[in-house]
Amino acid sequence: MSINFIFEPIALPLAAGIIALLFRREQGKACAWFCTAVTAAHLAIATYLFGKEASLTLPWGAFGFEFSLKLYHFSGFIMLAAAGFGFLISLYSTAFMNDRRFLNQYYAYFLLTLGMVNGAVLADNLIVMLFFWESLLLTLFGMIIIGQPQAFKTAVKAFIISGVADLCMMVGIGMTIYMAGTMTMSQIHLPLDTWSSVAFVFLMIGAIAKAGAMPFHSWIPDAAVDAPLPFMALVPAALEKLLGIYFLARISLDLFVLNPRSWLSPLLMVIGCITILLAVMMALIQRDYKRLLSFHAISQVGYMILGIGTAVPVGIVGGLFHMINHAMYKSCLFLSGGAVEKQAGTTDLAKLGGLRAQMPVTFICFVVAAASISGVPPFNGFISKELIYDGALERHWLYYAAALLGSFLTAASFLKLGHAAYLGKPAANHSKVQEAPAAMLIPMIIIAVLCLVFGLWNALPLNNLIQPILGEARLEGHTFAGWHFSVTLVLLTVLVLIGAFLNHIWGAKRAGNGLGAADHIHYAPVLHPLYDKAERRLFDPYEIGLKIVRVIARIAWGVDRGIDYLYDTVAVKVTYAFTSGIRKAHTGSLLAYLSWSLAGLIVIIALIMGGI
Amino acid sequence: MPVLLIIVPLLALLVLNLPWMRLMNRLALWVGLILCLIQFFLVLHSPSFFWEAPPLWLGRLFLFAPSLDYLSLVMFLAIAIVGASALLVCRYSIHDLLEPVKPGACSHKRFLVINLLILALTGMNGVVLANDLFSLYVFLEITAVASYILIVAEKGRDAFEGAFKYLVMSAVATALILAAIALLMLTAGDLSYANIKLAMSASSDSHIVLAAVAMLVVGLFIKGGLIPFHGWLPDAYSAAPAAVSVLLAGIVTKTTGVYTLIRIVLSVIGFSDTLENLLLLIGAASMLVGALAALGQSDFKRMLAYSSISQVGYMVLGLGAGTILGLAGSIFHLFNHAIFKSLLFVNAAAVEQQTGTRDMNRMGGIAEKMPVTGCTSIIAFLSTAGIPPLAGFWSKLIIIVALWQSGHIAYAVLAILASLLTLAYFLSMQRRVFFGKLAAGFENLKEANVWILIPACVLAAITIGVGIGIPWLFETFLLPIRSLL
Amino acid sequence: MTFGIVYIALLMLLLLAGIWTVMTLNLLKSAIGLAITSAILSLLLFLMAAPLAGVFELSVCAGLITVVFISAISLTKPLTGTEARARDHSRVKRFILLPVIIVAVAWGLYVMHPHLDLPLPAADVERDVRQVFWNIRRIDLVGQILVILAGVFGVVILFKDHPDTKGEIPRTPDAGRRTTDKDRPDTKEGTPA
Repeated sequence: MSINFIFEPIALPLAAGIIALLFRREQGKACAWFCTAVTAAHLAIATYLFGKEASLTLPWGAFGFEFSLKLYHFSGFIMLAAAGFGFLISLYSTAFMNDRRFLNQYYAYFLLTLGMVNGAVLADNLIVMLFFWESLLLTLFGMIIIGQPQAFKTAVKAFIISGVADLCMMVGIGMTIYMAGTMTMSQIHLPLDTWSSVAFVFLMIGAIAKAGAMPFHSWIPDAAVDAPLPFMALVPAALEKLLGIYFLARISLDLFVLNPRSWLSPLLMVIGCITILLAVMMALIQRDYKRLLSFHAISQVGYMILGIGTAVPVGIVGGLFHMINHAMYKSCLFLSGGAVEKQAGTTDLAKLGGLRAQMPVTFICFVVAAASISGVPPFNGFISKELIYDGALERHWLYYAAALLGSFLTAASFLKLGHAAYLGKPAANHSKVQEAPAAMLIPMIIIAVLCLVFGLWNALPLNNLIQPILGEARLEGHTFAGWHFSVTLVLLTVLVLIGAFLNHIWGAKRAGNGLGAADHIHYAPVLHPLYDKAERRLFDPYEIGLKIVRVIARIAWGVDRGIDYLYDTVAVKVTYAFTSGIRKAHTGSLLAYLSWSLAGLIVIIALIMGGI
Repeated sequence: MPVLLIIVPLLALLVLNLPWMRLMNRLALWVGLILCLIQFFLVLHSPSFFWEAPPLWLGRLFLFAPSLDYLSLVMFLAIAIVGASALLVCRYSIHDLLEPVKPGACSHKRFLVINLLILALTGMNGVVLANDLFSLYVFLEITAVASYILIVAEKGRDAFEGAFKYLVMSAVATALILAAIALLMLTAGDLSYANIKLAMSASSDSHIVLAAVAMLVVGLFIKGGLIPFHGWLPDAYSAAPAAVSVLLAGIVTKTTGVYTLIRIVLSVIGFSDTLENLLLLIGAASMLVGALAALGQSDFKRMLAYSSISQVGYMVLGLGAGTILGLAGSIFHLFNHAIFKSLLFVNAAAVEQQTGTRDMNRMGGIAEKMPVTGCTSIIAFLSTAGIPPLAGFWSKLIIIVALWQSGHIAYAVLAILASLLTLAYFLSMQRRVFFGKLAAGFENLKEANVWILIPACVLAAITIGVGIGIPWLFETFLLPIRSLL
Repeated sequence: MTFGIVYIALLMLLLLAGIWTVMTLNLLKSAIGLAITSAILSLLLFLMAAPLAGVFELSVCAGLITVVFISAISLTKPLTGTEARARDHSRVKRFILLPVIIVAVAWGLYVMHPHLDLPLPAADVERDVRQVFWNIRRIDLVGQILVILAGVFGVVILFKDHPDTKGEIPRTPDAGRRTTDKDRPDTKEGTPA
């Protein structure tokens, strides 16, 4: 394999991104098609590269630092997925974004993000990976800020949260490099003792924060409202999940050996369960299409972390499979949300309704994706969730119960969303709403079809994409493809789904419309005040952190004033006191000067004659 | 043959003043410049026939065989550079009254000033060459007398006052030095450095000798303008004509005070604990008091004068470390100081000439109108304050390292603090004079003419060159100092 | 010859004459005081067996220079009565501490009783002082020439210049002013317009 090809996934989008910046503002359309063409070419190259193995090492700078890239099955897979989403969403953007401002910047960041993700995935050196990983912060910031004028606050929030997590990861990488004695990822295999566990936790924080797990999630719902929607579909829904879970899998499988006996495994599983439940609880009460989806984007990460945290093959396979499935259906859902926003002009569920008739294709795609995310057989979400359930049950039934409860609430919230947006009475001012343009429909349809394909013929992705990641040795000859699930579990899943459906019918009847179908949970006695506080962001770790930081800042300000006072006032006053004293002493009187000299002479004579 | 450095200027002076040469007094400047340039190149190329040839008829004539070392060469170099600068400034700032006065009574003041400048330079060459206390005294007096007259060359109240203070304080110094010479003569029976050193080592605890040492050192302190013997210095420097300020601040007090002190300590007295402590104390006091006093000045030249006291403090501090490194730093700083302080006084001359005032409170934004002067003064002040990579940084660094190594950590810290003060007063000077908004009344200000820009640019180039070239100069400039101890 | 009472008396006289020279208001008296000082000094030199130095001191310092001074002073004009009184007043203030200092220094020296270990340790002085000073150092002659040249230039520059100032210190209204740190020179002095 020539050097060109392993560089391509990084160099092509980065170069194209810089070129995109050169487009003028009024050339947005051209820029969009340029970007789509680049992503198409990139998809072709990624497809070609998939399944090949290559590595490249260049000496870079001093201190034994090497720029090393490694292409193998896992990285090829992530790259392929990223390229696919990149192409589809770029295509979607051509229609969705066409009347926005800053189009050249948007596409530039789009392409740069793609290039950075590829770089982070391909990197075989921890420092190189960190470089690409951190660079993503910049495009993340840029992407959010071009959304709307008031997006600055959200962008800062996203930047700070990701930055803090990346800082933790930097510490972890430092510790890992120190302990392993090398920066090359493919040469690091550390057993989990006390210190390496700490390093693992730091790295894990970086990985799950990138994926958007709690407590590093709180920027995502805000960004959902402020940032351009294709960004949501691309970055938090797809690329960041891919990247975060990729790195989590790398550290659990390669860099360290996570086994069920380590305390890290329950830690991951607990984080996963908490993320699933809390985020989905929040999703349930949202009244905005995009915000609701964004909480699901958080919640579903919980499943992946839970799956990988089980540290048993079936769980890991489930987690990774869920990663790719989630990227698909969540992009599809966001894209459907975008279609609704574009056509109906709002994403506020209270103002939507009855869009099924006007946007039938969007509705069908939404249904497929919603069924997938809720785990309805035979869609792909069902398969991956069943695998995760298997893994969780192997560890403890509590994890399983939490995951199942999450599933129930997911289904309930999507029933509510679908009902409120697409069924029910058409909203008064939406009579002229039409189906979305083809450029937006095609990506949705493709993804929806893939959801079904990955469900029905799950052997295809599992055998080709997921299971090779673990390798034959870890799988111990098992294969998880096909439909040989335990009947009890499937039955339980189905029962839960039916329960969710019944719950929805009851709630909708009680409230009189689809939007209020979850109100009985929202206003339940214990939950209501908690929800209230959560909506006011009292539980947002970022806001709490800001409060603490403000206190620290106040103290630091006081200390700083003190030091300033010492320098600016005390030091200056003392200096000037001396100076004016000296000025006063220099009266210009020769007599005075002579007396000083005489005194000096006497002292010096005394000193020398007495001293020696 | 180095004795020619005294004889040739003397002959040149005599020729210039031959009656039928009077009308050619325009030549004086060029003669002076050529003398300085010859001296400059003699040091740089150091042809052995000049410096090392056995005394021929000259030696027999003058019975004088100076022993030259590295220190003398550095001084010759500094004298040549500063002397040339002063001559050029003289061409710029002293107006010859040839035209306004009747042809018969032409006053040709510039010619006289140039003659005196050459005289002072010759005197300093003599100070450097001297290897005997009495010759040293004679040449110190030549330099001093020439300086008194030069200070009052432009007349004016302040000039007379400054010159008078210098005269009186210098007379005290001279008396002390003479008394010390007499006492040492009594002890040693001879006055050459080597013989006195021998006699002193034989009777080092004699009270007579100690009293002589004390008086000698105090006399040189007065000449060098160290605290608390500095009373004359600000007045003399600020009242003197521009060219004379350059010469006085750049080299005269450094040669007659600091160089002589170093020479006497090295060749005659030798280091001892008491002497080191004394030097450290006086050096630190000068450094701090000079810097603090400079901070409170509003007269441009007066501020530079106090700054000069402060920098001399550094040199004495370096000497007080009593180590080779300290000595190297001291001499190196002496050289650097000669360059950058001359540069500052050259700039002061330009500013004074163009604006007609030295009051910094009335200036402002001059760099806009006088860019070359502004730039070179920034270079000079950065060098003075010890900002890398300019020359002043290295010499201060060496002095501080030397102090640290010899265990005088408190003094090293003081030196660093004084460096901050230096930065403070120079920043305030730059802000008040060169930066900021153009002060009222200076709208038609012009850059000074080429006579003063040449020395400014050359001196700035030397400062930068020495600073950047320090890795190369280290071998040729600093290491030879080892031979001195 | 021992260090006897005669020397001490002469030295005291020398000191008194010197102080009088410095302190007196009248330039003429000052010049005469200088001459007396020189005369006492030359007497001391004779007593100390240095006749050559004594002759030089007497002829040049006490004789020649006094003549030059007195002839120059005869060209000046004395102060007016008010000016003289004002100056008297300031002199009293200025020198009131002088006797105290002299007494204090004398007392200090007496108390410290410095043991100046005369006779001197230079046992191997084989050269005559004159030899040391003159015969072996002709370079100092060059120095002498230079000093004289400097003096000549000084005289030329100070007294043969500027028809407007005639070498006199201009008597400005702030004649009592001294150059101090607080000065703010407004104009450059001495530069022709």
